[in-house]
Amino acid sequence: MPSIRCPWKRCLKEVSAPVYQVAELSKARVQAGSGFALSVPELTIRPGERVALVGDSGCGKSTLLDMLGLASSPDGAGRFTFCPRGAPSDIPSLWRDGRSNDLGDLRKHHIGYVLQTGGLIPYLTVRQNIDLTRRLLDLPDDGTADALAERLGLAGHGAKLPAALSVGERQRVAIGRALAHRPPVILADEPTASLDPETAKTVMALFLDLVEAEGATLIVATHDRAQVGRLGLRALGHDLARDPAAGLTRARFWG
Amino acid sequence: MGTTLVQVTRLSVRDFLHEWRMSVCFVLALAAVLAPLLILFGLKFGLVDTLRSRLIEDPRNREIKSVVSGRLTRDWFAALEARDDIAFLLPRTRAIAATMTLRPAGSRANVTRVELVPSGPGDPLLPEGATAPDGLGTVVLSAAAARALGVGVGDRLTGNVTRVVEGRRQAAGTDLGVAAIVPDHRFARPAAFAAPALMGAVEDYRDGFAVPGLDWPGADKPDAPRVYAGFRLYAATIDAVAPLRDHLNGLGLEVRTQAAAIETVRALDRSLGAVFWVIAVIGLTGYLLSLGANLWANVDRKTRDLGILRLLGVPTGGLMLFPVVQAGLTAVLGAALAGLATLAVAALINRMFATSLAEGELVCRLLAAHYLLAVAGTLACAVAASALAGYRASRIEPAEGTRDV
Ligand SMILES: Nc1ncnc2c1ncn2[C@@H]1O[C@H](COP(=O)(O)OP(=O)(O)OP(=O)(O)O)[C@@H](O)[C@H]1O
Ligand SMILES: [Mg+2]
Repeated sequence: MPSIRCPWKRCLKEVSAPVYQVAELSKARVQAGSGFALSVPELTIRPGERVALVGDSGCGKSTLLDMLGLASSPDGAGRFTFCPRGAPSDIPSLWRDGRSNDLGDLRKHHIGYVLQTGGLIPYLTVRQNIDLTRRLLDLPDDGTADALAERLGLAGHGAKLPAALSVGERQRVAIGRALAHRPPVILADEPTASLDPETAKTVMALFLDLVEAEGATLIVATHDRAQVGRLGLRALGHDLARDPAAGLTRARFWG
Repeated sequence: MGTTLVQVTRLSVRDFLHEWRMSVCFVLALAAVLAPLLILFGLKFGLVDTLRSRLIEDPRNREIKSVVSGRLTRDWFAALEARDDIAFLLPRTRAIAATMTLRPAGSRANVTRVELVPSGPGDPLLPEGATAPDGLGTVVLSAAAARALGVGVGDRLTGNVTRVVEGRRQAAGTDLGVAAIVPDHRFARPAAFAAPALMGAVEDYRDGFAVPGLDWPGADKPDAPRVYAGFRLYAATIDAVAPLRDHLNGLGLEVRTQAAAIETVRALDRSLGAVFWVIAVIGLTGYLLSLGANLWANVDRKTRDLGILRLLGVPTGGLMLFPVVQAGLTAVLGAALAGLATLAVAALINRMFATSLAEGELVCRLLAAHYLLAVAGTLACAVAASALAGYRASRIEPAEGTRDV
C-alpha cells in the first residue's frame, strides 16, 4: 500500500488506468415468485470521474453499487478490475477464492461508502463514527474528523450518539465517515434521500464540494434525474424490462 | 493487523458498556446458572468429604475393642505389634482396677470419679500436638472430666485410689499434672488418660501391693510378668479393621469393631458420589449449552453492526474477536459474581451448621481448583461459541449484513 505521505492524487497522474473496468457483469436476485436480473455489458470509470446511477426504485442501483463497492459478489463477470491506485485487482477471482480479507483491505484503503440506510455504529459518538475509517487505517488524529464535522454542520453534535440525531444529521455523519480517510473512490447510495428537497440540495452540493476537493472518483446512486444535470454528473446508460408473465425484471447499466 | 485488533477490542468493549442493560442481563444469567453448580460442588466437597474424612480420620472407627477379659502377656502384645496394619496398641489393666478419684489440687470441691484409659505417644484420641501422659506424674483429661473438675491444661490435680485390705479401707493419693484435654467428640465420658506406668501402679495398689515410685505402702509384689486383661487397639486404616478383627477372632478373642457401620457409610458415600456426578454432569452440560446459545444469539442480534465493520474492512479475525471480547467479559464478570454468591451462600450454610461441625470442618467448601476450573470451562465455552458465531457472521456478504429492515 502507498504510504499516506503519497496522496493518491499524485499517484493518479502516474496511473492512468481506469478505476473500474467491467464487462458482462451479472447478478440475479431471485425470491419466491419474482426475480430480478442485473447486467452490466460494459462499464469504464476513470480516475476523478463523477458518475451517477439513475433509475426508479427497485431498478438495481443499490445492487450495482454494492458490487462496485466490493460488498457483494457478482454471479458472473467477463471482466471486473478495480484499480484505485497502483496495480489492478481482479475482483471476481477474489470473490471466487473466498479472499474476503483481501476484499476488506481494498474497501478499507480505497473506498468510502455512504450507505442508503446510513449504517452508523450506534455505540460510537458522531465524532467517533466519522473517525472510524481513519482509526481502522491507523491514521493519525490530525483534526480531519473535526474539520469534516464542522463542514457538514455537525459541529455541536460531536459527542452525541447516532440515536440522538435527526435522520438528515445521520446521513451527514455517514458522508463524513466515507470521506474521513480520504479514499480515492467514493460510493454513495441516495445520500440525500431522507432529506427535504432544500436541505438535500445543500448537502449534495456540499458533498460534491468535498469530493471535488479530494479529487476522488465518485459514483452516486439517485432517483433524482434533475440533480444529475444540475451537478454535472455523468449518468450511466440504463434500461429496465419487466416481464410480468415470468415475474422477471431485467435491468441493465452501461457506460 | 495488530492495530485493527486493538481497535476491534475497543469497539467491542464500548458496545458492551453502551448496551450495559443487556450486558448486565447476560452476566446475571450466567451467574444465576453457575452459582448453584458451584454450591453443589461446594456441598459435595464440604459435606460429603467431611463425612468421609470423619469416617476415615475418626479414630473411633478404627478402634478394635476387646470385649471379655483375657490373660494377655507381653509376648502376645509383641507379636501383635509386629503387624504393619496397627496404628496404636497398649495393654489394658483390669477395668475394676482402672478408676481413680480426682480433685483439683488443694481443693475439696469438684471431686470426680474417672475411668483410667491407658495412653501414650501416638494415641489417636489425643489432639494434634498435645503432650501425651508420661510416667506417674501427668494425665490427659477428657473434656467431660476437665469440666467436672473445673481445670485446664497445666493445672494440678490430686488423684486418690482406694482398696480394701483385710476388711479395712485404705486410700493413697498422688499429685498429677494435666498434660492435655481430649475433646468431647473423641471421648465423651469423664476419663483420665494415663501412662502404662500409672495404670500398672493403680492396679498393683488395688491388688494390695506397694508402689515404691509413689510411696504407696503394701505387700511386696512377687516378681512375675504382668498379665493384662485387654488392650487398646487402633488399626492403621479403616480398611485394616476387618482383617485385624478376623486375626483376633482367630486367636480366640472376641472383639467389637465399627466394620459394619463403616461399610454402610461407604456404600452411602459411593451412591451419594454417583448422584452428585449425575447432577453435576447434567447441570454443567445445561450450563454450557445455555451459555453458548445465549452468546450465539447475541452475535446474531449484532449481525448488522458486524456487517458494517466488515464493510469498513475489518478482517475475519477481527469479526471473531468482537464477540469473543464481549463473551470473555460476560464470562469473567459472571463467574466472579457466581463466585461471590457462592462464597456468601457457603458462609451462610456453614454458619447454620456450625454447631454440629468440629473445628476445620465445613458443610460447603468451594475449592480454588474447582472454581478456577469452572472459570476456565466457562471462558473456553464462551470463547468457542462466540468465535464460531463471529466466524459465521463474517461469512455474510457485507451488502447483506448491512441491510436494514
Ligand atoms: N437480498 C435480496 N434478495 C432478493 N431480492 C433482492 C434483494 N435485495 C434486493 N432485491 C431485489 O433486487 C431489486 C433491486 O434492488 P435494489 O435495492 O438494487 O434497488 P434500488 O435501485 O437500489 O432501489 P431503491 O431506489 O428503492 O433503493 C429489487 O427488485 C429488490 O426486490
Ligand atoms: Mg437502493
